[in-house]
Amino acid sequence: MSFVWTLAEQDGTSLKGVSFELLARGRTLADKLETKLASVVIGGKLSEEQLQELIHRGADEVYYIKNDALDDFVVETYSRILVKLIEQYDPHTILAAATTTGRTLMPHVSIGADTGLTADCTDLDIDPETGQLLQTRPAIGGNIMATIKTPYKRPQMATVRPKSSRPLEADTTREGKIIEVPFEESFVDGRVEVLGYRHNEDEDVDIQEAEMVISGGRGLKKGDNFEIIRKLATRFDAAIGASRDAVDRGWISYPHQVGLSGKTISPKLYFACGISGSIQQLAGIKTAETIVAVNNDPEANIHKIADFSIVGDLFEVLPRLIEKLDENGKKATGGKS
Amino acid sequence: MNIVIPIKQVPDSNKVKMDPESGTMMREGVEAVVNPLDLYSIQLGVDLKEKYGASITVISMGPPKAAKAIREAISMGCDDGILLSDKKFGGSDTWATSYTIAETIKSLPAYDLVIFGERATDGDTGQVGPCTAAWLDVPLASYVASVDAVTDDSIEVERMVEGGYQKLRLPKPAVLTVVKEIAAPMLPTLSGKKRARRTEIPTYTAESLPFEDANLGLKGSPTRVVKIRTPKVSREGRVVHATDGEGTEGALDELIAYLKEKELV
Amino acid sequence: MKGATMEYNTINKKIVDELIGILGERNVITDHEKLETYSHDETPADVYGHMPDVAVTPTTSEEVAEVVKLANRELIPITPRGAGSGLSGGSIPHLGGISLSVEKMNKIIEIDYSNMVAVAEAGIVTNELNNAVAEKGLLFAGYPMSLQSCYLGGNIAENAGGGKAVKYGVTGRYIIGLELVTPTGDIVELGGKLSKDVTGYDLKQLIVGSEGTLGIVTKATVKLIGLPTAKGNLLCLFNSPQEAIDTVPILMGRGLVPTSIEFMDQSSVQTSCNYLNENLPYEDAGAMLLIELDGTDPEQVENDLETTGDILMDNGATEVYVADNSTTQERVWSVRRNIAEAFKVYSPVQSLEDIVVPYASIPDMIPELERLSKEFDTAIPCYGHAGDGNLHATLVKNPAHSEKYWHEIEPRILRELYRITHKLGGKISGEHGIGIKRKSYMAEIADPKELALMQGIKRAWDPNNIMNPGKIFELAPVGAPEVA
Repeated sequence: MSFVWTLAEQDGTSLKGVSFELLARGRTLADKLETKLASVVIGGKLSEEQLQELIHRGADEVYYIKNDALDDFVVETYSRILVKLIEQYDPHTILAAATTTGRTLMPHVSIGADTGLTADCTDLDIDPETGQLLQTRPAIGGNIMATIKTPYKRPQMATVRPKSSRPLEADTTREGKIIEVPFEESFVDGRVEVLGYRHNEDEDVDIQEAEMVISGGRGLKKGDNFEIIRKLATRFDAAIGASRDAVDRGWISYPHQVGLSGKTISPKLYFACGISGSIQQLAGIKTAETIVAVNNDPEANIHKIADFSIVGDLFEVLPRLIEKLDENGKKATGGKS
Repeated sequence: MNIVIPIKQVPDSNKVKMDPESGTMMREGVEAVVNPLDLYSIQLGVDLKEKYGASITVISMGPPKAAKAIREAISMGCDDGILLSDKKFGGSDTWATSYTIAETIKSLPAYDLVIFGERATDGDTGQVGPCTAAWLDVPLASYVASVDAVTDDSIEVERMVEGGYQKLRLPKPAVLTVVKEIAAPMLPTLSGKKRARRTEIPTYTAESLPFEDANLGLKGSPTRVVKIRTPKVSREGRVVHATDGEGTEGALDELIAYLKEKELV
Repeated sequence: MKGATMEYNTINKKIVDELIGILGERNVITDHEKLETYSHDETPADVYGHMPDVAVTPTTSEEVAEVVKLANRELIPITPRGAGSGLSGGSIPHLGGISLSVEKMNKIIEIDYSNMVAVAEAGIVTNELNNAVAEKGLLFAGYPMSLQSCYLGGNIAENAGGGKAVKYGVTGRYIIGLELVTPTGDIVELGGKLSKDVTGYDLKQLIVGSEGTLGIVTKATVKLIGLPTAKGNLLCLFNSPQEAIDTVPILMGRGLVPTSIEFMDQSSVQTSCNYLNENLPYEDAGAMLLIELDGTDPEQVENDLETTGDILMDNGATEVYVADNSTTQERVWSVRRNIAEAFKVYSPVQSLEDIVVPYASIPDMIPELERLSKEFDTAIPCYGHAGDGNLHATLVKNPAHSEKYWHEIEPRILRELYRITHKLGGKISGEHGIGIKRKSYMAEIADPKELALMQGIKRAWDPNNIMNPGKIFELAPVGAPEVA
């Protein structure tokens, strides 16, 4: 039986957390299919130990291809490699992360490998009758859940929403094979030149990878008032999100935008402040584990979707919340020492 | 420079009402509009046209009424359009859609740039742009947030990726998918609107180009929707009122207890 | 509190018991916290709010009549109330007494397609009435569309206007029949399902806009029209208010009847656009018009948009933008709708005015507002319904000024504003009403002879002056000369 694959992501010197989330997904599928799980790693300067972690967290095999020419993500080159590996090994299923990399590479591969692809899945399963991959994803702003199959073509491919699953605990007794795939010059496409990378000075921007996101909307009244959100985010060690209204008004930059025309996120905690909860916004947060909201309009939609919501003035509620958390924190540490 | 901008007509998600019982979207009678994220690709095209000179062709696949979306793009400054409309195109997934669009682009006399919005707000896949680049076998830059330089044979862009921006130089022709930071869409002017009304928009059917029939529509689509369910989105959570000082204290105590229970503080 | 012109009795347990006898316990509210809802409308509660002694929520016209009879007999002021979304304090029980809310009389009695009318109770949310008639492809056009929550009864009491009055007129145009509980507790039917009716005085139209001082409307028969299914907007930039306003008669003269012609002065445009981060070239615009056209044929609406746009470009517009789908319409209207919110960021304390002038006088108003603004160091953005001359000049408290100073200058600015309005042939309220907010100015500005006629009508209808007393004007005690 052909394998289930996951596509690991690396940032040059280490593996990204989403690589392990994918393995947790892949492990379940491989077990149901009674087959092996392999992880493919393209590029980066990764140590044997780092690659072993993929095995500890669920992989049976790791295919690693490295070369200086592969350090930066270039879709044409990565696609060529993955298509070649697919031709060579004929996997049953490939899971990649629904990150900018996964959502760029996998569509490209779907044409090269002549197969289907389902975007941004939140649930994956195996059809017990046919052994086919059942790919479930939210569509139309999260208002329907569509289950999709790739009945006739192989491999079956899906990108998976980051944070929609938790990695398995590392089991250091697990054993597996690390197979180095030989690099060939012909893999490199060469047409596109990577000129550099500019780090976003804003540190709280990675809302898709964050465990917690504190988000501000029109209720903040002006851009300067994002300071309150920043304070709260520091207290929670959270990333900062924003509604479309807040971004459109120029109060904060687009990478922070949550929702239908921004990012769809699944953090453990989404804390919405002064956000009314339009369809636009809700589309981005429906798969958040816990939603907390503060909004002074008792009729606001967000109160209907939140797990815990406070009808009140955020300018009074939030500063007081920070104070109370600080008091609590002091008490807690005071008790220990 | 010849620019091609494929766009999609989608239901206006702002006008959709929520069903108070199920908390889901009610789509009946909702107006169709240009995919909001395509307004940025259209505006980038128009901005490049103003700066470097270009002719912009808009392509849209959909029912005959999708011509309205093409006219909207023309009224914003694009030059002409092609409507891909045929029952045979119906049911296309991203694979078949991108095939159809790519074949249409190949049939044009020349193209330097193909610009997509990052994704459509209804399907929300973001796959058609990258797939089209693969069909055309031209370089792709996705999530483009700025275009820094355009020369006769290349274009320099910044891609918005996790935590920062990747800077690329691509030879032309190239495919871009763009995000909101790329441009600030303008409203159509009266003169633009008048021009759009008078522009003839040809409709291409499955017979208009040498399409491979097996690659079109539902038949050409590797994926199948097998089940649709409507999840209940209302969480029926706890709502507390903090309308005065006392209320705030109580509400926050309750919130902190809740967050502790969930191990979120 | 004792009325200046009338001795009223206070509510005691016996009266509450009698109310409970008429209405049942659940329709009589005495709990202080619950009464708070009935103490204010959309005017600032700290300035105009006042608690009723009891609030009642009758469910039938007969119950309303019984309550009114009781109030009339016992000399207790009674204040009718709709959704509480008024902007002049009309539904505030400022003398205490009974607040009578029609909130539970909210049924649509019939939609009579053959006669193109609907009959509904006064407490129906007008928006819901419109949703119901829209299912039959019809529209009740006498609806301000400003608030999702307002009631039909309130629209009638205030003769509501709103943004679409240029084409559709105000509420009164569509009111052809009323059921009214008079201040003495009689139930009368005025008008009916009739398109013509000159059988004596047109009392139903006297009730329209009477701010609940002549009785309580319990049911209304409203005229319906075909529902427009297509619409489009033009956002037009001008160098000056004069050039903008000059185009209005030219458009009308060409037989074009826009649904709305909204005017925004420079400070409104700049503040709103800046707040919205709008990238239109608004910095150079001296004024903007937002024009809406509607109809049932999309092709016709497109033609009208083009013709209108051409006329505007030929007559001084520097640019005309077209919004003919929901995305762009949302965008152009948000410039207009966010003016108040944008100024709130600058200063939350405001006084929303509602003056109306012959629309050709709008350009004369603008420099006067600028003068007042300079003189009192207070921003006075001006926007509103240019198509009918109804301007929402808004006094925005300068954040640098103290609360005390604001309360000192606000009436001075208003008095001056109303004086200018009067001089230009205008009136102090186009669609919000006088209520208690503008009562003192009404007494100063209105023609005493006209005021005396109004007071005479009030006396004839409400001999004991218990029906929403002290709204619009004061009434002198019986026999004493009226104080204007």
